[in-house]
Amino acid sequence: MGQALQGDGLTTKINVGPIHPSTHGVLRLVVELDGDEIVNVEPHIGFLHRGVEKLMETRNYMQDLPYVEKLDYVAPEAYSEAYISAVESALGVEVKERAQYLRVVLLELQRIASHLLWLGTFLNDLGHFFTVFMWAFADRDKILRLLQEHAGARMFYVNMRLGGLNRDVPPGFEEEVLSVLGDIEKRIPMYESYLEKNEIFMERTKGIGAISSHRAIELGVTGPVLRASGVNFDIRSSKSYYVYDKLNFKPQVVSSGDVFARYKVRMLEMKESIRLVREAIRHMPPGDAVGMPIRLIIPAPKNKEVRVYRETPRGELLIYMVAGQQGPYRVSFRSPSFINLAALPEIAKGAHYADLFAILGSLDLVIPDVDR
Amino acid sequence: MKVEKEALLKTAEEMKNKGFSYLVKITAVDNISSLVVLYFLRNLNTGEEETLEVELSPVDASVPSIMHIYKAADWYERELKEMFGIEITGRSAPRLLLEKWNGIEPPLRKNFEWGKPYKAMD
Repeated sequence: MGQALQGDGLTTKINVGPIHPSTHGVLRLVVELDGDEIVNVEPHIGFLHRGVEKLMETRNYMQDLPYVEKLDYVAPEAYSEAYISAVESALGVEVKERAQYLRVVLLELQRIASHLLWLGTFLNDLGHFFTVFMWAFADRDKILRLLQEHAGARMFYVNMRLGGLNRDVPPGFEEEVLSVLGDIEKRIPMYESYLEKNEIFMERTKGIGAISSHRAIELGVTGPVLRASGVNFDIRSSKSYYVYDKLNFKPQVVSSGDVFARYKVRMLEMKESIRLVREAIRHMPPGDAVGMPIRLIIPAPKNKEVRVYRETPRGELLIYMVAGQQGPYRVSFRSPSFINLAALPEIAKGAHYADLFAILGSLDLVIPDVDR
Repeated sequence: MKVEKEALLKTAEEMKNKGFSYLVKITAVDNISSLVVLYFLRNLNTGEEETLEVELSPVDASVPSIMHIYKAADWYERELKEMFGIEITGRSAPRLLLEKWNGIEPPLRKNFEWGKPYKAMD
């Protein structure tokens, strides 16, 4: 490793973005440097603010569904599922048993796809690891093809319906899922050995941007970032929904809190997701999984408060909704990327400028979700 | 749990001492006759949730900052000021979180007028 440039106490400000290959969207960072050392980072957000929360107040429950998916374009399934279960609890709709299993299958497939995309782009952020980007993208595409087979779309599925899904899975879907999972399961150790035996990768991730568990809780970080700091908290186990408790889900925790730990947590989560999907398919009951037609609108009890907690690939999503007659009176999203970005200045302080992008990448931000 | 505005800081401190160390989110609801600010807190060890609800009058609404108790409150409080026009007292006035608004009332209030032309700030 080269020697870092020593500062002389006079700071320089550098502007990063809003258009920058490592900001994954439109994010502007104003970085204050003393030599190579980061004194302060100030994130400027709002370039993608579309006022989704306000827009959703003006439409009915089902018209809002596509808006929610556009918040997080890397894991739209996780968001539409969280939103539809908020509507379900406002209206008092039960989810069919087969649909519960199928939702878990779709959610976990989405998590693997999202983590694979993260792996590719993160290594891209680190510099010259474009090979892994291509590999991970190809693997993610296999999952997108599966989701497309069910929903008919590659990215924005809109396949959740009140009480179930828009349709049952096509015949032979389960076998295809298992064969794709078998492929990906073989690839994950390949990624791990390729990276963890790579001196450059290890130097650039080990001990970089470390936060203690106490600090992580204080900053409010969530999801894999929180679990990488040794905090054993996952909504899927502590507030289990659907059939996660029947599938013996175990949160994946690593304790070192650095960039490497965040990478490791996501790799472990992919393995756990593969196991969960297999279990869910094995236990999935036959029967009906189709929900209510999209045009059917049941009036909701007015002013009913609903809280839905979900573990999306990026962390905890809380949907707080006050129900109106036809659509939400107020809907608020606690987006995981928002709070993880808010913690960036604290995590990056004292690091070297070159490591800023390793740290930023390790937080796995989706900017449309930050801005909402 | 309903909390008076004056008792918010004391209650927040008590909750933190009771183990509710994780701030999940701060948001607000405009009920036209009043504004309700919600603080979602969590005890990570037991998984318990607690919500502090502070009711405010919609005119000249303000709440004290809880940033010195929960550091994670920073961005949520800035968002609250920008989206609901609720003044946050007891902390230095930071720049707004999203873009600069010019002559637009807080957008998440129910009396927000749609279709007003937006003039970007120079």
